[in-house]
Amino acid sequence: MPDTHFYRYDDFDRTLIAERVEQFRDQVRRRLSGELTEEQFKPLRLTNGLYLQLHAYMLRIAIPYGTLSSRQLRKLAEIARKYDRGYGHFTTRQNLQLNWIKLEDAPDALAALAEVDMHAMQTSGNVVRNVTADHFAGAAADEIEDPRIWCEVVRQWSTLHPEFSFLPRKFKIAITGSPNDRAAVRVHDIGLRLWRNEAGEVGFEVIVGGGQGRTPAIGVTIRDFLPKQHLLSYLEAILRTYNLLGRRDNLYKARIKILVHEIGAEKMREEVEAEYAAMKDSALKLAPETIEAIANQFAPPPLPHRSAIVPEVERLRLEDRDFALWLKANTNPHRLAGYRIVTASLKPAGAPPGDASSVQMEGVADIADAYSQGEVRVSHEQNLVFPHVVIEDLPSVYAALKRLGFAEANVGKITDIIACPGLDYCALANARSIPVAQRISNHFADLARQHDIGDLKIKISGCINACGHHHVGHIGILGVDKNGVELYQISLGGDVDFGKTAIGTILGPAVTADKVVEAVDALVATYLEAREKGERFVDTYRRIGAQPFKERVYAAV
Amino acid sequence: MAKNLSGELQVASANRLSDGVVVFLDDAGQWTPRLDQAALARDGRGAEILLERARVEGASVVDPFLVAVSEDDDGTVTPLSLREKIRASGLTFDAIAAEAVRYA
Amino acid sequence: MPLFRLNPKAPEAPALTLANTDDVLQLGARLHGVKLIVLNFPKFTDGRAYSQARLLRERLGYQGELRATGAVFLDQLPFLLRCGFSSFESDQKGFGEALEKARTLFSVVYQPVGDGRATAAELRLKRRNATVPLAAD
Repeated sequence: MPDTHFYRYDDFDRTLIAERVEQFRDQVRRRLSGELTEEQFKPLRLTNGLYLQLHAYMLRIAIPYGTLSSRQLRKLAEIARKYDRGYGHFTTRQNLQLNWIKLEDAPDALAALAEVDMHAMQTSGNVVRNVTADHFAGAAADEIEDPRIWCEVVRQWSTLHPEFSFLPRKFKIAITGSPNDRAAVRVHDIGLRLWRNEAGEVGFEVIVGGGQGRTPAIGVTIRDFLPKQHLLSYLEAILRTYNLLGRRDNLYKARIKILVHEIGAEKMREEVEAEYAAMKDSALKLAPETIEAIANQFAPPPLPHRSAIVPEVERLRLEDRDFALWLKANTNPHRLAGYRIVTASLKPAGAPPGDASSVQMEGVADIADAYSQGEVRVSHEQNLVFPHVVIEDLPSVYAALKRLGFAEANVGKITDIIACPGLDYCALANARSIPVAQRISNHFADLARQHDIGDLKIKISGCINACGHHHVGHIGILGVDKNGVELYQISLGGDVDFGKTAIGTILGPAVTADKVVEAVDALVATYLEAREKGERFVDTYRRIGAQPFKERVYAAV
Repeated sequence: MAKNLSGELQVASANRLSDGVVVFLDDAGQWTPRLDQAALARDGRGAEILLERARVEGASVVDPFLVAVSEDDDGTVTPLSLREKIRASGLTFDAIAAEAVRYA
Repeated sequence: MPLFRLNPKAPEAPALTLANTDDVLQLGARLHGVKLIVLNFPKFTDGRAYSQARLLRERLGYQGELRATGAVFLDQLPFLLRCGFSSFESDQKGFGEALEKARTLFSVVYQPVGDGRATAAELRLKRRNATVPLAAD
């Protein structure tokens, strides 16, 4: 196995994955033969990432902390070809979804994943889900510590945890290692923020009860500073409290955010701290060698010093407008001067956001091998990231991405839309989201215009479950169903960037599908006319309020 | 012109257990992916019987249920709800092809 | 309802039956001398009794028989066993055979619980320490 610069599964990890695959193979056999009813089987398949959607089973493959080696990405491409229709969808929780899996093939697909140390454990069901991190981890200039170390620690602790495999509801944890939270920790069931206290020690701020969905909530801090070695004891205390006290009577009131709301943050803190006090020096306390052994595996690849100023790149930037726009929108500063973080935009104009064909996945793997230490990340915005690209190589990477169709200079711009699969795929949806995203994307395709409009995050969900994260979109769009007609509710002012978390406010009555583009046009026009120097869309909204936007939109639709 | 706008026409549908494919119960009590071969219940009592039959034949499918449809003069059956239309006819946009380098 | 006991000869009295909403940490004296505690899974998806079981075993040191009743299915056996359950009421076909295999279904575990099994982390530490070379004389 070629060197990776993230956790390498050892024989223990591999054995566990293999044993779960065999257990699942037997469970599938018993379901197909009728020994198991659907009711008995459903939680068993969900905890192996297998949903039944509108047209087929969907397999949600875990990509822990959004980090993939090129070898793993190639395997995903192969599995998509062999067991699916040759494409996959990268999700807002850094997973990959394959939409046309057969139940009878699922054990073989999982066995194929296991060959490259991948799995679909606990990507669904009422268990602790894939722990997500900052997609720039290990590369960002503002990072205090690599959060992925802790994602791996939590991944192991939470996998097949015998006490927490039948929680009241799903449980999502996110970890950030930077003050600029790119992991949206305040809208997760547990958010963990690494920070350095006055004594110079690094520990966790523990935030509980955030979430989107039906009742969006921003998490509360129940512990300002938790020493790292006590992380698992504290998490176990929270999960046990939730397991015992979370509501079981009503599916829509069963998340931990409801519990926090019902008993209050103070009581929640008391319960957790009491439980934590009883167990903190138990076997859950992390040995320094254990932490070190995992942390060492996330040590960044050796990145030789390279020049920050590369004349060839400068020249190209001045000559080629598209390249200049791509540099500006799709690359970010690296902690090392001679490097950049590059985002591959999976939002070509008019395409379903976040999808990649097998050929495209293989192309990305090739670019990773040639230019990014063999590593790729999945962002929360349905794009892919190359964490360590030498500035000198940027023109080659750009050209290679262009050949793949992934070089649209629109990252963070209006056509970098996040959309859930929606009613085209999903059994839970009320309305479609992908065609809406496609129409908006086509309408605003002009790059110069997009850059003039600037940073603007549109997020679309096809139902209240908010998988498109519409609550935290600058423009959020929620598909609803009224008397069989698809309608779209627009909200403004949501945010999860730069340490700021805000839930959007609904603008007014929902609009029909054919009016969504007009509505977005009206919003953009309002902004362009009212903006002051340096203001992004969301800044202008915060300054002038909803009224001007509302008037313009409802005059237009 | 569509007949039966009140939704009394029903077919029985489910997803096939082995592969998740959308199927409909036909007159012979078999599950077919073809909506045009679905057994049609024309009233409430007929629908009850159809659903019961679907459950009896339910071993090879997951959670059968009734779908309200309309029937054209030429006999074309169409689901009334958008959700069921999509279930019956697939994605409303073109997914990217396996070997595609660019979205068409 | 068929009953499967890991230790068929263990005493079954005095017994205590708990609802899965009972706070086991408040039991106090009620636990004295109890030989059998019966816990309940109203639905198999309601996992509260797993926490009750662990608290009884690990926090309160209960060593008698711990019985799972209600919706008890063989696919939950690995979890039930690790949480400390030692007897099971279930009419599911194949339960007995599954019970025999359940302990060895997973040879690797990540979390320390009261079952005394070494976790992957513990085994890794052991392995590292075993390969640390002795200092040369």
